[in-house]
Amino acid sequence: MTTDILPAKVKRGDASDGGASLGSRLSRIDGPAKITGAARYALEHHLEGLCHAVIVQSTIGAGRIGVIDTTAADAAPGVLMVLTPDRIMPLKSATTWLDTPGPEGPYLALTNVINFMGQHIAAVVAETFEQATAAAALVKVYYEETDAIATYDDPRSGEGMALDHLAVSWGEAEAALAEAPVRIEATYRTPREYNVPIEPHGLVAQWSGDKLTVWEPSQWINGMSRTYAEWFGVPYENVRLVSPFIGGGFGSKAFALAHGAIAACAAKMLDRPVKLALTRPQTFTAFGGRPATRQTLKLGATEEGKLLSIVQTGANETSVDGVWGEPLASVTALMYATPHLAARQTVVPVNTVLPSALRAPGENPSAFGIECAIDELSYEVGIDPVAIRLRNYAEEDPHAKKPWSTRQLREAYEAGAKAFGWEKRKPEPRSMRDGHHLIGWGVAAGTYPVRRTAGEAMVGLFADGRAEVASSGIDMGQGTYTILAQTAADAIGLPVDQVEVKLGDSALPGAPVAGGSQLANLMTGAVHKAALAARDELIGLAISDPNSPFRALQANTLSVADGVISSPRGGEEVTIAELMRRLGRDKIEVLRDTLPETNNSAAEKHKTYTTITRMRSPTEGDYSLHAWCVHFIEVRVDEDFGTVRVSRVVSALDSGRLYNPKLAESQWKGGIIMGIGQALLEEGLVDRRKGRVINNNLGDYLIATNADIPDIEVISVGVPDFHASVLGGKAVGELGIVGVAPAIANAVYHATGKRIRDLPITLEKLID
Amino acid sequence: MSKSLTLKLAVNGASHELTVEPRVTLLDALREHLGFTGSKKGCDQGQCGACTVHVDGERVLACLTLAAQVEGRAVTTIEGLTPEGADLHPVQAAFLAQDAFQCGYCTPGQIMSAVACIKEGHAGSDAEIREYMSGNLCRCGAYPHIVAAVREAKEVMS
Repeated sequence: MTTDILPAKVKRGDASDGGASLGSRLSRIDGPAKITGAARYALEHHLEGLCHAVIVQSTIGAGRIGVIDTTAADAAPGVLMVLTPDRIMPLKSATTWLDTPGPEGPYLALTNVINFMGQHIAAVVAETFEQATAAAALVKVYYEETDAIATYDDPRSGEGMALDHLAVSWGEAEAALAEAPVRIEATYRTPREYNVPIEPHGLVAQWSGDKLTVWEPSQWINGMSRTYAEWFGVPYENVRLVSPFIGGGFGSKAFALAHGAIAACAAKMLDRPVKLALTRPQTFTAFGGRPATRQTLKLGATEEGKLLSIVQTGANETSVDGVWGEPLASVTALMYATPHLAARQTVVPVNTVLPSALRAPGENPSAFGIECAIDELSYEVGIDPVAIRLRNYAEEDPHAKKPWSTRQLREAYEAGAKAFGWEKRKPEPRSMRDGHHLIGWGVAAGTYPVRRTAGEAMVGLFADGRAEVASSGIDMGQGTYTILAQTAADAIGLPVDQVEVKLGDSALPGAPVAGGSQLANLMTGAVHKAALAARDELIGLAISDPNSPFRALQANTLSVADGVISSPRGGEEVTIAELMRRLGRDKIEVLRDTLPETNNSAAEKHKTYTTITRMRSPTEGDYSLHAWCVHFIEVRVDEDFGTVRVSRVVSALDSGRLYNPKLAESQWKGGIIMGIGQALLEEGLVDRRKGRVINNNLGDYLIATNADIPDIEVISVGVPDFHASVLGGKAVGELGIVGVAPAIANAVYHATGKRIRDLPITLEKLID
Repeated sequence: MSKSLTLKLAVNGASHELTVEPRVTLLDALREHLGFTGSKKGCDQGQCGACTVHVDGERVLACLTLAAQVEGRAVTTIEGLTPEGADLHPVQAAFLAQDAFQCGYCTPGQIMSAVACIKEGHAGSDAEIREYMSGNLCRCGAYPHIVAAVREAKEVMS
């Protein structure tokens, strides 16, 4: 329970408070550090005696190591240690993010058993990075190789294992489909996609006795600290993880990974601080991105395009040693009103690193399927693609059978279509052109759930009148620093430039994962609560302290604005700094959390911040909580060459209330741009013999460049949703990407008459 | 390869002496030896542009340049784009105003490229800016705002 029932008079950080900051287009307050080079990222932390580790990865896809010959590497200049599976210190098995036991221990960060190409098998530690890199090339490995199953297109991979917890059904879907007057069926595929934050993964690890300090980019300070503590069998408090700036994550920096264990082991074994940075190619196998997915959708409908049944079967790749389910029904079972639905999926183990979270895991490929399929149905029955979506509009959550808290999706269609000029669209494929360019207009919707976990925050007021907000929550570019300063400024009654925000350090009050687009909502809630409590404490002192000019007044008559305390009855006005001076106080410090008051023990807080077991589902409670969006996209397809360019994007989005529209728009556009790359460029190419990711670098794994991206117009159609969060916001960060790829695929069909159901949409698929 | 070189590098208007192996890149010399961590390592193979610095006023990729190659040449990093204590460079100010970054990791490289892009005369239109800024990848997806920032800065600078 994070959304406390607020008394009617409580501030909500909106215009009714008279607060000027939250909701304004303030430039990001961490911006000056980032544009001057002053922002220190994890690997920029320099320590006395620092040495450098470089990882060696496997060059077979399956089997085991026979012999590792480290003779030459051991003897190379500057080498301090060569870690191999036989030399690395065994660690304890760590519990999972679900708070379940990990695999039977001990945990070895390097193993002789090879499950995929690019698995860590050795690490060289040397005085300098250059020496470690050179010596790593001297490590000789003799393998006992076995056959690798590279992808789920290899028939030997089989049908996989059913994931029953991802199955959804209501009604009699197969029977209803069989009787439907209109039926379509199609299979949609998405390839392996990679997070590729521009800051590669890595860390600096330093031991002092049994205390470990780790400087590492992290989306989840508390969760990763827990893993390090459990690996090394030290108390949680003995691990300090520091991550004030993160050079992008997109889901990939939430967990402590093998390379982190390797660096921390090396630091312990050498009793020296160790820096380990993955090379760019190594980042493609040191952790998984989005798995390859395939899904077959069967839609049954009336002649008028009203859905009668949806039947979906899906599969995604996973590793041979773990299960990652990419929930392929997450949008299928939510977007449209259908009386019958059945969805099930499997995971197919192959020789790959375990896939993991990449922006909107589940919703992203799920929307690619259903939003293309509904488009196909629109042509089948001859109805406009927007009209068919409105015809099947879900007035309530069709799965949970609960009302939406807010769903401004109709408004999104209306605003987006108007701004785009959708009414000028000619319905027939290949009916719009500009010289050699076939022009296509496509539409698709997207959604992302509102996830809720509790958090906590410290708010301090200092003798100089300034305030400080502290949390282990992180800012990887979402704008956490900025919106928390805005939240505190309004709640206290201070100019925003008088608020300092400290984030990204396990020594600060705890926060759950910056994932699932939940952090802004939960942290503004915690900071709002703590800041109001700090203000109340200040006012309490103001009316009770004998040295206060307000000692004779009533609390509820004082106001604090722009850092000045005053009474409506007139009289003296004093600044917070002046009052603190008269009170003789150095600071007022208040810690507040948003856990339920009946269940907020230290142990419960620890579980809340270090696992995801306390994350509440979007349908827990009386409402179904989701953010929504619609993308209208124009493509130009060169008729001769099949090249596709996105030339125009208008997206209308409902993320509820925006705490800072400038920064929220940036995140939306960032998601849309990642979606354009996904639709047209991104694809992990896998060698079918040994499972090597062939294009494991930024020159070959193509992400969108500046020249690939047109102007993008985003329109906010959200309204404050106080069921969703304390201050009325819904999901932002992961919403924008959902629906972009199908909107482009639908536009390409409109332009060319060719339906590409297999991402990315590359020219050879269009000109064959 | 263990033989070391003693180099004198002119970085941001000051002379720095360092002793490094010949294989040390300009990027690692800046980041690991001289404390100029504003230049970022994103790929270490010349593909992302995060390490972009100026050498004699032209943009170069510091990860594909050996430190020894720039002796006697003027190296400018993000830290030296303006004199110490001076206001922000117009490009920096425009990046802040236009919110032309999120995580900030590609940003120093983007800004160094943008300053050069304008100076080269390659900021004449949005299309030209997009083309000449495409050597700098941004995974957060700030591209339209980067274009707006370059456009704005160009107007201020001309």
